[in-house]
Amino acid sequence: ISTQAVRNRMKSVKNIQKITKAMKMVAASKLRAIQTRAENSRGLWQPFVALLGDTPSVDVKKNVIVTVSSDKGLCGGINSTSVRVSRGLHKLTSGPEKENKYVVLGEKAKAQLIRDSKKDIELSMTELQKNPLNYTQVSVIADDILKNVEFDALRIVFNKFQSVVSFVPTTATILSPEVVEKEAESGGKLGDLDSYEIEGAESKSEVLQNLAEFQFSCVLFNAVLENACSEQGARMSAMDSSSRNAGDMLDRLTLTYNRTRQASITTELIEIISGASALEG
Amino acid sequence: KLKVNFVLPYNSELWNKEVDMVIVPATTGQMGILPGHVATIAELQPGLLSVHEENSVKKYFVSGGFAFVHGNSIADIIAIEAVPIDQLDASAVQKGLAEFTQKLSSATTDLERAEAQIGVNVHSALNSALAG
Amino acid sequence: MASNAAVPFWRAAGMTYITYSNLCANMVRNCLKEPHRSEALSREKVHFSVSKWVDGKPQKPTIRTDTPEE
Repeated sequence: ISTQAVRNRMKSVKNIQKITKAMKMVAASKLRAIQTRAENSRGLWQPFVALLGDTPSVDVKKNVIVTVSSDKGLCGGINSTSVRVSRGLHKLTSGPEKENKYVVLGEKAKAQLIRDSKKDIELSMTELQKNPLNYTQVSVIADDILKNVEFDALRIVFNKFQSVVSFVPTTATILSPEVVEKEAESGGKLGDLDSYEIEGAESKSEVLQNLAEFQFSCVLFNAVLENACSEQGARMSAMDSSSRNAGDMLDRLTLTYNRTRQASITTELIEIISGASALEG
Repeated sequence: KLKVNFVLPYNSELWNKEVDMVIVPATTGQMGILPGHVATIAELQPGLLSVHEENSVKKYFVSGGFAFVHGNSIADIIAIEAVPIDQLDASAVQKGLAEFTQKLSSATTDLERAEAQIGVNVHSALNSALAG
Repeated sequence: MASNAAVPFWRAAGMTYITYSNLCANMVRNCLKEPHRSEALSREKVHFSVSKWVDGKPQKPTIRTDTPEE
Protein backbone atom coordinates (compact mmCIF):
# COMPACT_ATOMS: atom_id res chain seq x y z
CA ILE A 1 0.00 0.00 0.00
CA SER A 2 1.17 3.51 -0.74
CA THR A 3 1.22 6.09 2.04
CA GLN A 4 -0.73 8.40 -0.26
CA ALA A 5 -3.66 5.96 -0.44
CA VAL A 6 -3.74 5.55 3.33
CA ARG A 7 -3.57 9.29 3.77
CA ASN A 8 -6.56 9.80 1.46
CA ARG A 9 -8.52 7.19 3.31
CA MET A 10 -7.73 8.85 6.63
CA LYS A 11 -8.89 12.17 5.28
CA SER A 12 -12.27 10.80 4.21
CA VAL A 13 -12.82 8.96 7.49
CA LYS A 14 -12.03 12.20 9.32
CA ASN A 15 -14.63 14.00 7.22
CA ILE A 16 -17.23 11.34 7.93
CA GLN A 17 -16.49 11.67 11.60
CA LYS A 18 -16.94 15.42 11.42
CA ILE A 19 -20.35 14.93 9.81
CA THR A 20 -21.58 12.29 12.24
CA LYS A 21 -20.39 14.41 15.16
CA ALA A 22 -22.29 17.40 13.80
CA MET A 23 -25.42 15.27 13.27
CA LYS A 24 -25.14 14.04 16.81
CA MET A 25 -25.00 17.60 18.11
CA VAL A 26 -28.02 18.60 16.04
CA ALA A 27 -29.99 15.59 17.27
CA ALA A 28 -29.02 16.37 20.85
CA SER A 29 -30.29 19.93 20.66
CA LYS A 30 -33.50 18.86 18.90
CA LEU A 31 -34.00 16.22 21.54
CA ARG A 32 -33.71 18.81 24.30
CA ALA A 33 -36.34 20.96 22.59
CA ILE A 34 -38.79 18.13 22.09
CA GLN A 35 -38.29 16.15 25.28
CA THR A 36 -40.03 18.72 27.49
CA ARG A 37 -42.98 18.84 25.12
CA ALA A 38 -43.22 15.06 24.99
CA GLU A 39 -43.17 14.88 28.77
CA ASN A 40 -45.82 17.60 29.04
CA SER A 41 -48.03 15.77 26.56
CA ARG A 42 -48.15 12.80 28.89
CA GLY A 43 -50.44 14.88 31.07
CA LEU A 44 -52.91 14.83 28.23
CA TRP A 45 -52.73 11.10 27.75
CA GLN A 46 -52.86 10.05 31.37
CA PRO A 47 -56.43 11.12 32.25
CA PHE A 48 -57.78 9.04 29.39
CA VAL A 49 -55.95 5.99 30.60
CA ALA A 50 -57.23 6.65 34.11
CA LEU A 51 -60.79 6.86 32.82
CA LEU A 52 -60.94 4.39 29.96
CA GLY A 53 -57.95 2.20 30.65
CA ASP A 54 -56.11 0.59 27.79
CA THR A 55 -57.85 -2.25 26.02
CA PRO A 56 -55.43 -3.76 23.53
CA SER A 57 -57.15 -7.14 23.62
CA VAL A 58 -60.59 -5.92 22.56
CA ASP A 59 -61.94 -8.01 19.71
CA VAL A 60 -63.75 -5.97 17.06
CA LYS A 61 -64.59 -6.20 13.39
CA LYS A 62 -62.99 -3.11 11.89
CA ASN A 63 -59.43 -2.50 12.97
CA VAL A 64 -57.30 0.40 11.87
CA ILE A 65 -53.61 0.41 12.71
CA VAL A 66 -51.99 3.83 12.87
CA THR A 67 -48.25 3.35 12.45
CA VAL A 68 -46.18 6.31 13.60
CA SER A 69 -42.72 6.68 12.05
CA SER A 70 -40.25 9.39 11.03
CA ASP A 71 -39.73 11.04 7.67
CA LYS A 72 -35.96 10.92 7.96
CA GLY A 73 -33.63 7.99 8.43
CA LEU A 74 -30.38 7.46 10.34
CA CYS A 75 -32.19 6.86 13.59
CA GLY A 76 -31.45 3.26 14.40
CA GLY A 77 -34.24 0.72 14.45
CA ILE A 78 -37.20 2.74 15.70
CA ASN A 79 -39.06 2.74 12.39
CA SER A 80 -38.49 -0.97 11.79
CA THR A 81 -39.78 -1.60 15.30
CA SER A 82 -43.00 0.35 14.61
CA VAL A 83 -43.50 -1.55 11.37
CA ARG A 84 -42.79 -4.92 12.95
CA VAL A 85 -45.23 -4.33 15.79
CA SER A 86 -47.84 -3.06 13.31
CA ARG A 87 -47.49 -6.16 11.14
CA GLY A 88 -47.80 -8.39 14.19
CA LEU A 89 -50.90 -6.55 15.31
CA HIS A 90 -52.32 -6.77 11.81
CA LYS A 91 -51.88 -10.53 11.81
CA LEU A 92 -53.31 -10.83 15.31
CA THR A 93 -56.45 -8.85 14.59
CA SER A 94 -57.12 -10.28 11.13
CA GLY A 95 -59.61 -13.02 10.56
CA PRO A 96 -62.64 -14.01 8.58
CA GLU A 97 -65.20 -11.20 8.29
CA LYS A 98 -62.75 -8.70 9.67
CA GLU A 99 -61.36 -5.60 8.10
CA ASN A 100 -57.90 -4.43 8.81
CA LYS A 101 -56.37 -1.25 7.46
CA TYR A 102 -53.24 0.80 7.91
CA VAL A 103 -52.88 4.53 8.33
CA VAL A 104 -49.22 5.41 7.98
CA LEU A 105 -47.54 8.48 9.45
CA GLY A 106 -44.04 9.27 8.14
CA GLU A 107 -42.07 8.27 5.05
CA LYS A 108 -40.08 5.47 6.65
CA ALA A 109 -42.92 3.17 7.65
CA LYS A 110 -44.60 3.87 4.33
CA ALA A 111 -41.50 2.69 2.45
CA GLN A 112 -41.49 -0.55 4.44
CA LEU A 113 -45.20 -1.30 4.42
CA ILE A 114 -45.55 -0.60 0.71
CA ARG A 115 -43.57 -3.77 0.02
CA ASP A 116 -46.02 -6.31 1.38
CA SER A 117 -49.10 -4.48 2.66
CA LYS A 118 -49.84 -1.76 0.14
CA LYS A 119 -53.34 -3.15 -0.47
CA ASP A 120 -54.18 -2.49 3.15
CA ILE A 121 -52.94 1.08 3.33
CA GLU A 122 -55.83 3.50 3.52
CA LEU A 123 -54.13 6.79 4.22
CA SER A 124 -50.59 8.09 4.50
CA MET A 125 -49.31 11.33 5.97
CA THR A 126 -45.87 12.90 5.73
CA GLU A 127 -44.01 16.19 6.34
CA LEU A 128 -45.32 16.34 9.88
CA GLN A 129 -42.34 18.07 11.36
CA LYS A 130 -41.94 21.15 9.19
CA ASN A 131 -43.08 23.21 12.16
CA PRO A 132 -42.45 22.21 15.76
CA LEU A 133 -45.05 19.58 16.63
CA ASN A 134 -48.11 21.02 18.32
CA TYR A 135 -51.63 19.99 19.26
CA THR A 136 -53.44 21.75 16.43
CA GLN A 137 -51.21 20.04 13.88
CA VAL A 138 -51.79 16.58 15.29
CA SER A 139 -55.50 17.13 15.87
CA VAL A 140 -55.99 18.10 12.22
CA ILE A 141 -54.26 14.83 11.31
CA ALA A 142 -56.53 12.97 13.72
CA ASP A 143 -59.50 14.70 12.16
CA ASP A 144 -58.44 13.65 8.67
CA ILE A 145 -58.11 10.07 9.87
CA LEU A 146 -61.57 10.14 11.47
CA LYS A 147 -63.12 11.49 8.30
CA ASN A 148 -61.48 8.96 5.99
CA VAL A 149 -61.56 5.62 7.75
CA GLU A 150 -64.25 3.57 9.39
CA PHE A 151 -63.22 1.81 12.56
CA ASP A 152 -64.33 -0.02 15.65
CA ALA A 153 -60.86 0.24 17.13
CA LEU A 154 -57.90 2.42 16.27
CA ARG A 155 -54.55 1.05 17.34
CA ILE A 156 -51.73 3.58 17.43
CA VAL A 157 -48.25 2.06 17.24
CA PHE A 158 -45.31 4.24 18.27
CA ASN A 159 -42.04 4.27 20.19
CA LYS A 160 -42.46 5.56 23.71
CA PHE A 161 -39.50 7.58 24.88
CA GLN A 162 -37.89 6.39 28.09
CA SER A 163 -34.35 7.67 27.89
CA VAL A 164 -31.82 8.60 25.23
CA VAL A 165 -30.96 4.95 24.84
CA SER A 166 -34.29 3.29 25.47
CA PHE A 167 -37.50 3.35 23.45
CA VAL A 168 -40.38 1.01 24.06
CA PRO A 169 -42.64 0.00 21.18
CA THR A 170 -46.13 0.82 22.45
CA THR A 171 -49.71 0.42 21.30
CA ALA A 172 -52.54 2.70 22.35
CA THR A 173 -56.07 1.57 21.59
CA ILE A 174 -58.96 3.92 20.89
CA LEU A 175 -62.43 2.45 20.65
CA SER A 176 -65.27 3.88 18.62
CA PRO A 177 -68.06 5.45 20.70
CA GLU A 178 -70.40 2.56 19.84
CA VAL A 179 -67.92 0.02 21.12
CA VAL A 180 -67.25 2.10 24.24
CA GLU A 181 -70.95 2.22 25.01
CA LYS A 182 -71.39 -1.50 24.37
CA GLU A 183 -68.43 -2.48 26.54
CA ALA A 184 -69.52 -0.16 29.35
CA GLU A 185 -73.08 -1.44 29.40
CA SER A 186 -72.20 -5.10 29.17
CA GLY A 187 -69.88 -4.56 32.13
CA GLY A 188 -67.03 -5.70 29.92
CA LYS A 189 -63.61 -4.15 29.83
CA LEU A 190 -65.03 -0.69 30.43
CA GLY A 191 -67.52 -1.70 33.10
CA ASP A 192 -66.28 1.04 35.42
CA LEU A 193 -67.38 3.71 33.00
CA ASP A 194 -70.99 2.99 33.86
CA SER A 195 -70.45 4.28 37.39
CA TYR A 196 -69.75 7.77 36.04
CA GLU A 197 -72.49 10.29 35.62
CA ILE A 198 -72.37 11.94 32.28
CA GLU A 199 -72.91 15.70 32.18
CA GLY A 200 -73.51 17.58 29.03
CA ALA A 201 -75.26 17.67 25.72
CA GLU A 202 -78.57 16.02 25.05
CA SER A 203 -77.61 12.39 25.01
CA LYS A 204 -75.03 10.10 26.49
CA SER A 205 -73.98 8.74 23.12
CA GLU A 206 -73.29 12.25 21.94
CA VAL A 207 -70.95 12.96 24.85
CA LEU A 208 -69.27 9.62 24.30
CA GLN A 209 -68.73 10.41 20.64
CA ASN A 210 -67.19 13.78 21.47
CA LEU A 211 -65.10 12.12 24.13
CA ALA A 212 -63.84 9.39 21.78
CA GLU A 213 -62.83 11.94 19.17
CA PHE A 214 -61.09 14.10 21.73
CA GLN A 215 -59.38 11.03 23.19
CA PHE A 216 -58.05 10.07 19.79
CA SER A 217 -56.54 13.47 19.10
CA CYS A 218 -55.00 13.70 22.58
CA VAL A 219 -53.57 10.19 22.52
CA LEU A 220 -52.26 10.64 18.98
CA PHE A 221 -50.67 13.93 20.04
CA ASN A 222 -48.80 12.16 22.81
CA ALA A 223 -47.85 9.26 20.50
CA VAL A 224 -46.45 11.53 17.79
CA LEU A 225 -44.41 13.50 20.31
CA GLU A 226 -43.08 10.39 22.05
CA ASN A 227 -42.05 8.96 18.70
CA ALA A 228 -40.39 12.19 17.57
CA CYS A 229 -38.50 12.26 20.84
CA SER A 230 -37.41 8.64 20.40
CA GLU A 231 -36.35 9.50 16.84
CA GLN A 232 -33.94 12.21 18.02
CA GLY A 233 -32.67 10.02 20.84
CA ALA A 234 -32.07 7.10 18.48
CA ARG A 235 -30.37 9.37 15.97
CA MET A 236 -28.16 10.77 18.67
CA SER A 237 -26.95 7.34 19.77
CA ALA A 238 -26.62 6.12 16.18
CA MET A 239 -24.46 9.12 15.32
CA ASP A 240 -22.50 8.74 18.51
CA SER A 241 -21.56 5.15 17.72
CA SER A 242 -20.76 6.11 14.12
CA SER A 243 -18.39 8.80 15.39
CA ARG A 244 -16.81 6.26 17.68
CA ASN A 245 -16.45 3.72 14.85
CA ALA A 246 -14.85 6.40 12.71
CA GLY A 247 -12.47 7.14 15.58
CA ASP A 248 -11.49 3.47 15.87
CA MET A 249 -10.95 3.23 12.16
CA LEU A 250 -8.83 6.35 12.22
CA ASP A 251 -6.63 4.79 14.90
CA ARG A 252 -6.16 1.66 12.80
CA LEU A 253 -5.42 3.70 9.70
CA THR A 254 -2.89 5.83 11.57
CA LEU A 255 -1.13 2.63 12.60
CA THR A 256 -1.11 1.36 9.02
CA TYR A 257 0.06 4.74 7.81
CA ASN A 258 2.96 4.83 10.26
CA ARG A 259 3.94 1.27 9.44
CA THR A 260 3.86 1.94 5.72
CA ARG A 261 5.81 5.12 6.18
CA GLN A 262 8.35 3.29 8.35
CA ALA A 263 8.62 0.56 5.74
CA SER A 264 9.19 3.04 2.94
CA ILE A 265 11.84 4.92 4.96
CA THR A 266 13.60 1.64 5.65
CA THR A 267 13.47 0.75 1.97
CA GLU A 268 14.82 4.15 1.02
CA LEU A 269 17.63 3.85 3.57
CA ILE A 270 18.57 0.44 2.28
CA GLU A 271 18.61 1.80 -1.25
CA ILE A 272 20.85 4.72 -0.25
CA ILE A 273 23.20 2.54 1.74
CA SER A 274 23.46 -0.10 -0.92
CA GLY A 275 23.93 2.62 -3.55
CA ALA A 276 26.72 4.17 -1.51
CA SER A 277 28.43 0.86 -0.93
CA ALA A 278 28.21 0.10 -4.65
CA LEU A 279 30.04 3.37 -5.41
CA GLU A 280 32.71 2.62 -2.82
CA GLY A 281 33.18 -0.86 -4.14
CA LYS B 1 -59.12 18.33 49.81
CA LEU B 2 -59.57 17.81 46.10
CA LYS B 3 -56.65 16.67 43.97
CA VAL B 4 -56.64 18.37 40.60
CA ASN B 5 -54.80 17.70 37.39
CA PHE B 6 -55.45 20.56 35.01
CA VAL B 7 -53.68 19.88 31.72
CA LEU B 8 -53.20 21.53 28.36
CA PRO B 9 -51.48 20.01 25.33
CA TYR B 10 -48.38 22.12 25.85
CA ASN B 11 -48.34 22.43 29.60
CA SER B 12 -49.66 20.99 32.84
CA GLU B 13 -51.15 24.00 34.64
CA LEU B 14 -51.81 22.03 37.79
CA TRP B 15 -50.53 18.57 38.54
CA ASN B 16 -51.56 16.65 41.62
CA LYS B 17 -52.46 19.94 43.24
CA GLU B 18 -54.59 19.95 46.37
CA VAL B 19 -57.30 22.58 46.29
CA ASP B 20 -60.64 23.28 48.00
CA MET B 21 -62.83 23.56 44.95
CA VAL B 22 -62.83 24.03 41.20
CA ILE B 23 -65.68 25.39 39.14
CA VAL B 24 -65.74 24.23 35.54
CA PRO B 25 -67.87 25.45 32.63
CA ALA B 26 -69.80 22.28 31.81
CA THR B 27 -72.10 22.34 28.80
CA THR B 28 -74.96 22.06 31.28
CA GLY B 29 -73.82 25.11 33.24
CA GLN B 30 -71.11 26.05 35.75
CA MET B 31 -70.32 22.98 37.84
CA GLY B 32 -68.62 23.15 41.21
CA ILE B 33 -66.38 20.22 42.12
CA LEU B 34 -65.75 19.67 45.82
CA PRO B 35 -63.96 16.80 47.51
CA GLY B 36 -66.16 13.72 47.47
CA HIS B 37 -67.99 14.73 44.31
CA VAL B 38 -69.79 11.89 42.58
CA ALA B 39 -67.89 10.31 39.67
CA THR B 40 -68.70 12.36 36.60
CA ILE B 41 -67.66 12.89 33.03
CA ALA B 42 -68.42 16.45 31.98
CA GLU B 43 -68.02 18.01 28.60
CA LEU B 44 -66.78 21.58 28.87
CA GLN B 45 -67.84 24.58 26.84
CA PRO B 46 -65.97 27.85 26.39
CA GLY B 47 -66.19 29.59 29.74
CA LEU B 48 -64.76 30.45 33.10
CA LEU B 49 -62.83 27.93 35.16
CA SER B 50 -61.85 28.90 38.67
CA VAL B 51 -59.58 27.18 41.13
CA HIS B 52 -60.29 27.92 44.79
CA GLU B 53 -57.66 27.51 47.45
CA GLU B 54 -57.74 28.72 51.05
CA ASN B 55 -57.87 32.46 50.36
CA SER B 56 -57.09 32.71 46.70
CA VAL B 57 -59.06 32.19 43.53
CA LYS B 58 -57.35 31.73 40.20
CA LYS B 59 -59.50 32.33 37.12
CA TYR B 60 -58.93 30.93 33.67
CA PHE B 61 -60.88 31.07 30.47
CA VAL B 62 -60.97 27.61 28.88
CA SER B 63 -61.89 27.01 25.25
CA GLY B 64 -63.41 23.60 25.80
CA GLY B 65 -62.43 20.07 26.71
CA PHE B 66 -63.46 17.55 29.30
CA ALA B 67 -63.44 17.09 33.05
CA PHE B 68 -63.33 13.66 34.66
CA VAL B 69 -64.16 13.55 38.32
CA HIS B 70 -63.20 10.24 39.86
CA GLY B 71 -64.78 8.78 42.94
CA ASN B 72 -61.65 9.27 45.04
CA SER B 73 -61.68 13.10 45.04
CA ILE B 74 -59.38 13.33 42.06
CA ALA B 75 -60.37 15.53 39.14
CA ASP B 76 -58.73 15.50 35.72
CA ILE B 77 -59.44 18.56 33.61
CA ILE B 78 -58.28 18.58 30.00
CA ALA B 79 -58.57 21.74 27.97
CA ILE B 80 -57.20 22.62 24.57
CA GLU B 81 -56.55 26.22 25.46
CA ALA B 82 -56.76 27.94 28.82
CA VAL B 83 -55.62 31.44 29.56
CA PRO B 84 -55.54 33.51 32.74
CA ILE B 85 -58.39 36.01 32.53
CA ASP B 86 -56.09 39.02 32.83
CA GLN B 87 -54.35 38.10 29.58
CA LEU B 88 -57.54 38.64 27.59
CA ASP B 89 -57.99 41.74 25.48
CA ALA B 90 -61.47 43.18 26.03
CA SER B 91 -61.46 45.22 22.84
CA ALA B 92 -60.53 42.16 20.73
CA VAL B 93 -63.45 40.33 22.33
CA GLN B 94 -65.87 43.14 21.41
CA LYS B 95 -64.53 43.30 17.89
CA GLY B 96 -64.80 39.52 17.49
CA LEU B 97 -68.34 39.49 18.81
CA ALA B 98 -69.45 42.16 16.36
CA GLU B 99 -67.65 40.45 13.49
CA PHE B 100 -69.21 37.02 14.09
CA THR B 101 -72.67 38.46 14.74
CA GLN B 102 -72.42 40.11 11.35
CA LYS B 103 -71.15 36.87 9.76
CA LEU B 104 -74.02 34.94 11.27
CA SER B 105 -76.56 37.13 9.49
CA SER B 106 -74.78 36.95 6.15
CA ALA B 107 -73.89 33.24 6.23
CA THR B 108 -75.19 31.27 3.27
CA THR B 109 -74.08 27.67 3.94
CA ASP B 110 -74.65 25.45 6.96
CA LEU B 111 -70.92 25.36 7.60
CA GLU B 112 -70.55 29.15 7.50
CA ARG B 113 -73.55 29.52 9.78
CA ALA B 114 -72.12 26.98 12.24
CA GLU B 115 -68.74 28.72 12.27
CA ALA B 116 -70.34 32.09 12.87
CA GLN B 117 -72.53 30.61 15.60
CA ILE B 118 -69.46 29.16 17.32
CA GLY B 119 -67.82 32.59 17.01
CA VAL B 120 -70.78 34.30 18.63
CA ASN B 121 -70.93 31.70 21.41
CA VAL B 122 -67.20 31.87 22.18
CA HIS B 123 -67.06 35.65 22.18
CA SER B 124 -70.21 36.00 24.27
CA ALA B 125 -68.69 33.62 26.79
CA LEU B 126 -65.45 35.64 26.75
CA ASN B 127 -67.44 38.80 27.20
CA SER B 128 -69.36 37.59 30.21
CA ALA B 129 -66.19 36.12 31.73
CA LEU B 130 -64.57 39.56 31.52
CA ALA B 131 -67.66 41.26 32.89
CA GLY B 132 -67.96 38.84 35.81
CA MET C 1 -78.85 28.13 20.01
CA ALA C 2 -80.30 25.43 22.26
CA SER C 3 -82.02 23.01 20.00
CA ASN C 4 -83.73 19.73 20.60
CA ALA C 5 -82.00 17.97 17.74
CA ALA C 6 -80.07 14.85 18.64
CA VAL C 7 -76.78 16.34 17.49
CA PRO C 8 -75.21 19.72 18.20
CA PHE C 9 -75.45 22.32 15.43
CA TRP C 10 -71.77 22.07 14.53
CA ARG C 11 -71.94 18.33 13.99
CA ALA C 12 -75.06 18.78 11.89
CA ALA C 13 -73.00 21.14 9.72
CA GLY C 14 -70.38 18.45 9.16
CA MET C 15 -67.79 19.22 11.85
CA THR C 16 -66.22 16.73 14.21
CA TYR C 17 -65.60 17.50 17.86
CA ILE C 18 -61.95 18.06 16.94
CA THR C 19 -62.77 20.72 14.35
CA TYR C 20 -65.24 22.35 16.71
CA SER C 21 -62.94 22.45 19.71
CA ASN C 22 -60.00 23.71 17.62
CA LEU C 23 -62.12 26.54 16.28
CA CYS C 24 -63.06 27.55 19.82
CA ALA C 25 -59.44 27.36 20.97
CA ASN C 26 -58.24 29.47 18.08
CA MET C 27 -60.86 32.15 18.76
CA VAL C 28 -59.73 32.35 22.37
CA ARG C 29 -56.08 32.69 21.26
CA ASN C 30 -57.09 35.55 18.98
CA CYS C 31 -58.52 37.47 21.91
CA LEU C 32 -55.29 37.47 23.92
CA LYS C 33 -53.27 40.56 24.66
CA GLU C 34 -49.87 40.82 23.07
CA PRO C 35 -47.33 39.25 23.36
CA HIS C 36 -49.42 36.27 24.47
CA ARG C 37 -51.46 36.31 21.27
CA SER C 38 -48.54 36.02 18.84
CA GLU C 39 -46.90 33.49 21.11
CA ALA C 40 -49.98 31.26 21.21
CA LEU C 41 -50.72 31.58 17.49
CA SER C 42 -47.17 30.83 16.38
CA ARG C 43 -47.11 27.73 18.56
CA GLU C 44 -50.02 26.10 16.75
CA LYS C 45 -48.92 25.94 13.11
CA VAL C 46 -50.27 23.23 10.80
CA HIS C 47 -48.42 21.69 7.87
CA PHE C 48 -48.47 18.16 6.50
CA SER C 49 -49.11 16.18 3.37
CA VAL C 50 -51.81 13.53 3.13
CA SER C 51 -52.60 10.89 0.48
CA LYS C 52 -55.55 8.58 0.21
CA TRP C 53 -54.75 5.12 -1.13
CA VAL C 54 -56.84 3.28 -3.67
CA ASP C 55 -56.03 -0.31 -4.65
CA GLY C 56 -52.57 -0.18 -3.19
CA LYS C 57 -51.61 3.09 -4.83
CA PRO C 58 -51.28 6.50 -3.21
CA GLN C 59 -53.41 9.19 -4.85
CA LYS C 60 -52.15 12.68 -5.43
CA PRO C 61 -51.12 14.10 -2.05
CA THR C 62 -52.89 17.13 -0.61
CA ILE C 63 -50.90 19.62 1.42
CA ARG C 64 -52.70 20.78 4.54
CA THR C 65 -51.15 23.99 5.67
CA ASP C 66 -52.04 27.27 7.28
CA THR C 67 -48.93 29.07 6.11
CA PRO C 68 -48.88 30.09 2.44
CA GLU C 69 -45.88 28.82 0.45
CA GLU C 70 -42.97 31.22 0.58
